[in-house]
Amino acid sequence: MRPFLSVEKMSVGYGTTTVLDKLDLGIRKGEFVALLGSSGCGKTTLLRTIAGFTKPFSGSIRVADRDVTQMPPDKRGMALVFQSYALWPHMTVAQNIGYGLKLQRQSRENIDARVNEMQNLLGLAGLGDRKPGQLSGGQRQRVALGRALAIDPEILLLDEPLSNLDARIRLTVRHEIRSLQKRLGITAIHVTHDREEAMVMADRIIIMNTGRIEQEGSPEDVYNKPASPFVAAFMGAENLLSMQARVQGEQVELMEGSFNPSIVTALAGRTLATGPIELRFRAEAARLARSEDKTVLQPGTLELRGQVTSVSYPGGHWRHAIRLGENEILVDADTPFNQGEAVRVCIPAKSLFIFNVVEGLAEARAL
Amino acid sequence: MQTRFLALLLVLPALIMIVLFFILPLFASILGAFEVGDSFGLGNFSKSFDLYSKDMIFTVVIVSISTVLIGLLSIAIGGYLTLGENPRSVAILRWLYRWPMFIPFIVVGQVLRTFLAKNGLMNNILVSLGILTPLQTTGFLDWRGIVIAFVWKQTPFVTLLVAGAMASLDRSTIEAARNLGASRLRILIEIVVPQISGTLLVGLILSFVTMMSVLSVPLMINAQSPTMLTADIAFRINAHGDYGVANALGVISLLLTAGVALIYLRQTMKDRL
Repeated sequence: MRPFLSVEKMSVGYGTTTVLDKLDLGIRKGEFVALLGSSGCGKTTLLRTIAGFTKPFSGSIRVADRDVTQMPPDKRGMALVFQSYALWPHMTVAQNIGYGLKLQRQSRENIDARVNEMQNLLGLAGLGDRKPGQLSGGQRQRVALGRALAIDPEILLLDEPLSNLDARIRLTVRHEIRSLQKRLGITAIHVTHDREEAMVMADRIIIMNTGRIEQEGSPEDVYNKPASPFVAAFMGAENLLSMQARVQGEQVELMEGSFNPSIVTALAGRTLATGPIELRFRAEAARLARSEDKTVLQPGTLELRGQVTSVSYPGGHWRHAIRLGENEILVDADTPFNQGEAVRVCIPAKSLFIFNVVEGLAEARAL
Repeated sequence: MQTRFLALLLVLPALIMIVLFFILPLFASILGAFEVGDSFGLGNFSKSFDLYSKDMIFTVVIVSISTVLIGLLSIAIGGYLTLGENPRSVAILRWLYRWPMFIPFIVVGQVLRTFLAKNGLMNNILVSLGILTPLQTTGFLDWRGIVIAFVWKQTPFVTLLVAGAMASLDRSTIEAARNLGASRLRILIEIVVPQISGTLLVGLILSFVTMMSVLSVPLMINAQSPTMLTADIAFRINAHGDYGVANALGVISLLLTAGVALIYLRQTMKDRL
């Protein structure tokens, strides 16, 4: 089945700079897709090009087999919610929401009915006569959403709509937007740099880096099976170690180093070659044990020996910085260990993200 | 105590300047407006209204028409600079529109006098193009000439303010309207202008006050009756040495500009809140 929205071999840039090079993307009807990446990765450019505010150098954008590449923004059946909300300060809430319908020359009664419907849907009832300046951040955000939804678009485009909200409100608005999208069955593309936001809201996450798609998949997939060091790091596996690996058949051996004995584990779908590797894991995936603790480890568990350099309590668990020679890693534990204590760090095989060292590593490290 | 004295000392030169060169002459001329012979009275004002009430209306009408035209033109130019999609023509317009600002009023008057006269450059061109016959030509050296001169000279100034305000608008408020299908004209009228109306108003008020005080343009273009109050004031003093009526006319134009200055003050107070 052809995707509902498809982007084919699209190149976009400004002046002589190319931001996106021959990018392909397909989105199904009713799907909620998050474009995730750090600033400057091209995710907003991609969204603006889909919306029609930026013209691509080449390639095409199709919606339901209709080529919209050269169409103006309003003919594409899409509505964009801006990061700054872009509400018109001189118009009331009702005028803001109804403006798109006014442009469509709908009758006064139709507009009023639709504006009311939107206000009720978004919990803005009774605020119709207020100006945007008299609303809270969360209310403004909902007005922006209402203005976009009022024209009944096929595709809703969201450009970091939550980044200007207080942290607490953000958590509730995430769920509000997600449940609204499900209820309306609308196709949505959401640009964000917040990993957790993308995980909670999206059916599918597309991780972008330097104008390319690094990986796309369900939240579980990109979280548990990162396809590149960049994705692993972006999805929170910030601990980084360099090692040597030897691949034999379906097994990979991580060679003994200054801080670890060697282990052998199954490749388990990883594509690896013998040679230098980089190994990443999350602070919460590792387990801390005292060095005299002689519990037998499950086969394939990587064991590291180091020293606690600092302990902090970010909430829920204790976070330890562990020194391994030149490197420092972060490991969580339910109970605190003493500063200066020698410890064992045990990481189960399934939590190890192993990649061959290739060019481009410097970029990933920079994160 | 000493620092307070020092602070006063620092302010003093500015204070003396204002009192000596601004407040004192202003009060003297206001007082002078009520001096009739050796006593005080309203004689100068009744004489002013008898002789120049037509000129007062003429002045207000001309300056008001000019203000409206300046407003429309500056919105049009500023709007094109903000919403124009052809980068080259936007760049050319941006470079061109400011030039009249640097030309003095007297030169504007002189240039337009030779351009707008019955046998001036404009009519010569129209005749040579065959659009008009020499008999159909009319000079524009009356109220129309003054309006043209004012608009020509003041539009760039207001446009400068308006275009600046438009450029600093949140671009996404414009894109949001485009996203919903608004044409560029509608975006200008319904989205852009309402957001910069404060700046536009201030620019127009400053222009209004400037035009009220210009003497050279009415003298150069339209010295016959009816003419503007500035020309009358100059005439009372130069031809009759009649400072009383001149001062009364000055007070009357002061009251006219005070009306718009009040709007200006209220606007700036609102902006500061």
